[in-house]
Amino acid sequence: MRSLLSFFAFLFVAAVSAISTTGDRLLVVLDDVAEKAGYSKFFGDLESRGFKLTFETPKSETLSLFRLGERAYDHVIVFPSKAKGLGPNLTPSILLDFLNANGNILVTLSSGSAAPNSLVSFLAELDIQLPTERTGLAVDHFNYDSISAPDTHDVLVLSPPGPVRPDIKNFFSVGAPADQLLAFPHGLGVTLGAGELLAPILRAPRTAYSYNPKEQAEVVDDLFAAGEQLALVSTMQARNSARFALVGSVEMLRDSWFDAEVKKIGATKAVKTFNREFAKRVSGWTFQETGVLRVNWIEHHLDEVSALNESNPAIYRIKNDVTYTISLSEWSWDTWTAFTVPTNDVLQLEFSMLSPFHRVALGLDPSHSTPEATAYTASIKLPDQHGIFNFKVNYKRPFLTNVEEKNTVSVRHMAHDEWPRSFAISGAWPWIAGIAATVAGWVGFVALWMYSAPPAGERKKETKKTQ
Amino acid sequence: MSFGAEHLSIVSFRAPFPSRRVARKGASLPNKHHHNDITMRFSQSFTSALLLAAAGVAQAASSWSFDEGSLSIAAKKGSDAVKEKLNAKSPLSKPIALGSADTLKVTFTAKDNGRGKRPHQAFVILKEQDSGLEAPFPLTLKENGKAVVQIAQKEIPVNLLLSDKPLKASIVIASFGSATGFIAPAFDIEITTDPNVAPPQYEKPVRYGKRPEIHHTFRADPQSPPKIVSLFFALAVVATVPALFIGWLALGANVNHVTKAIGAAPLSHATFFGSIVAMEFVFFMYYTSWNLFQVLPVIGVVGVMTILSGTKALSEVQSRRLAGER
Repeated sequence: MRSLLSFFAFLFVAAVSAISTTGDRLLVVLDDVAEKAGYSKFFGDLESRGFKLTFETPKSETLSLFRLGERAYDHVIVFPSKAKGLGPNLTPSILLDFLNANGNILVTLSSGSAAPNSLVSFLAELDIQLPTERTGLAVDHFNYDSISAPDTHDVLVLSPPGPVRPDIKNFFSVGAPADQLLAFPHGLGVTLGAGELLAPILRAPRTAYSYNPKEQAEVVDDLFAAGEQLALVSTMQARNSARFALVGSVEMLRDSWFDAEVKKIGATKAVKTFNREFAKRVSGWTFQETGVLRVNWIEHHLDEVSALNESNPAIYRIKNDVTYTISLSEWSWDTWTAFTVPTNDVLQLEFSMLSPFHRVALGLDPSHSTPEATAYTASIKLPDQHGIFNFKVNYKRPFLTNVEEKNTVSVRHMAHDEWPRSFAISGAWPWIAGIAATVAGWVGFVALWMYSAPPAGERKKETKKTQ
Repeated sequence: MSFGAEHLSIVSFRAPFPSRRVARKGASLPNKHHHNDITMRFSQSFTSALLLAAAGVAQAASSWSFDEGSLSIAAKKGSDAVKEKLNAKSPLSKPIALGSADTLKVTFTAKDNGRGKRPHQAFVILKEQDSGLEAPFPLTLKENGKAVVQIAQKEIPVNLLLSDKPLKASIVIASFGSATGFIAPAFDIEITTDPNVAPPQYEKPVRYGKRPEIHHTFRADPQSPPKIVSLFFALAVVATVPALFIGWLALGANVNHVTKAIGAAPLSHATFFGSIVAMEFVFFMYYTSWNLFQVLPVIGVVGVMTILSGTKALSEVQSRRLAGER
């Protein structure tokens, strides 16, 4: 029944739209709307995925991210601007409000123009630091494109980035052709703070570094960052799962770099760039087209023989065996698919009152899984402590939307008739025997008291006395 | 690439780049140098000036390297300095020990195809072997390619300092243009810490990921003594019943008046004695299966029977006593 319902719900969703889970209104902020011709393929890809694009300049008076207190757009792309600020409609606090209202933001930077103050403050709020003077250029004398930048070395040529950690799902390079390389032309590297919400997608190679071409053309007297600390494409996913991505090089998204061929220094053959697919994946991730998790249902029941085994009871007893099952789906571009936990990672169930008493791994439950949803299950023995407990699944991972599910149940202590009977406890045997002896002695005493005739000798003595 | 899990998503330290300080130290460098060093530098700048005059020579297939590399460890007091020669072709075979108050100084002359020249990039990169974390230390460069950097132990990021394995130091020299960059491992550093000073504290940044499993520790189940002990005492208690009866018999107890009593008040005696046994049976049923609400009415019925039959039966016992038969 449930699967039938979800099937109809799925059909309905599929009929309505085939794009982002959060909406299709996309605002593009460009310094000059005419610039969009240079990015026609990038915008064309977005439109073909169902987004409705609106182009505005920061100076435009009609530009407003909110209307009547509600988001006017679902997603925003900010292109580099030559202006020092972005005007009163894109202040850092408005951008933050937009993130807090579940809007997604993609910011692009370029080494050609200093980042607007508004963006610098906004990035500082997210703990992303830009080089001093709001500008910089990432160069690498060991990984550059020998066709377009044989002398300046500022077109970095990199392999598509793998997962930054072995337990993270690979969204950005999976299935990438082995002979394609990513071009990162004239870009800006940033450093990320230590917060857990920040995650880099593309980090600079170990020999890369950032410098200010205006002031440090001869000598790098004050190094901003180098090596893998320099993040070229980075992301932040807020606690409400709103997403933010920062692309250090806007030229990456240009039509000319989508089609370009690059030749890494030392390589013998020029290869096509991976930029078009990478731009699709980064924008798709930012606009909640990939890596969005949904909890379909949660079920828990008593897992004991001869029990009623009703679903989701409000009360359990201490030391009960309980089975918990959660069904998860992942949105992948245009459809809900079964969510598979990445290798090396686990989905964990906590049973907690204030602090967790149990934290166990949830395993795959094939019998309740469908092509659109995967069920994960775990069986636990409830702790020997009564009180109000939560079944809690707190699955927060980089690049996946947060799953935080809490189901409250009471756990009562043992009722008086749920303990083992006293005759089953060997230590109680002397006490039970004592009761039996008392009963036998009492019945015997009553019989003797009522029916005993006086012993023959005694009766004689008594009769003598009375006489 | 093999990386330790916790550092991966974002490198968790801001490497110190003490470039201004280094620059100052670099500026004061010639005063400390030996005379032959200075003469060497003079001759070198002379040759490089000559070569600069011949600028415009095609640089095809040129490559960066370094020469006159040296590494020295200076303790704070200035005593027992270690000095090693660095070679661009092969790294030092033995790790260099760097104490907590020591300063490591690396100098070399960057060369482009054998000519001393200033590259744009000249770093010493320290790498922690387990996590792959790297900290770059830029060298201060002179026009003629002379490069120097001083790294005190306290300038090294804390997560590198806490490594158990020696740090791998590489030298990177590269610049714009067509000259091939130079990158090669140069030496290993073994961090020695002062046992009198508390080691630096490193707090791992929070990372979303799987967390350690927790399994509740249940209280121990209640325990019984060995069954044989319980059985022995249970039998000892049961044995008191025959002992009691034997004792009574020895004192002359008997039931000789049963027939007399039954004869005098048959219904009362049967009911009274029966109700006392029945009451015990009710208690037994309460223990095994009945609940309180089943027990109470039965107790009421049996109790009334006990009282009603008891008055008659006990009057009969009294009449026997008054008759002097007890």
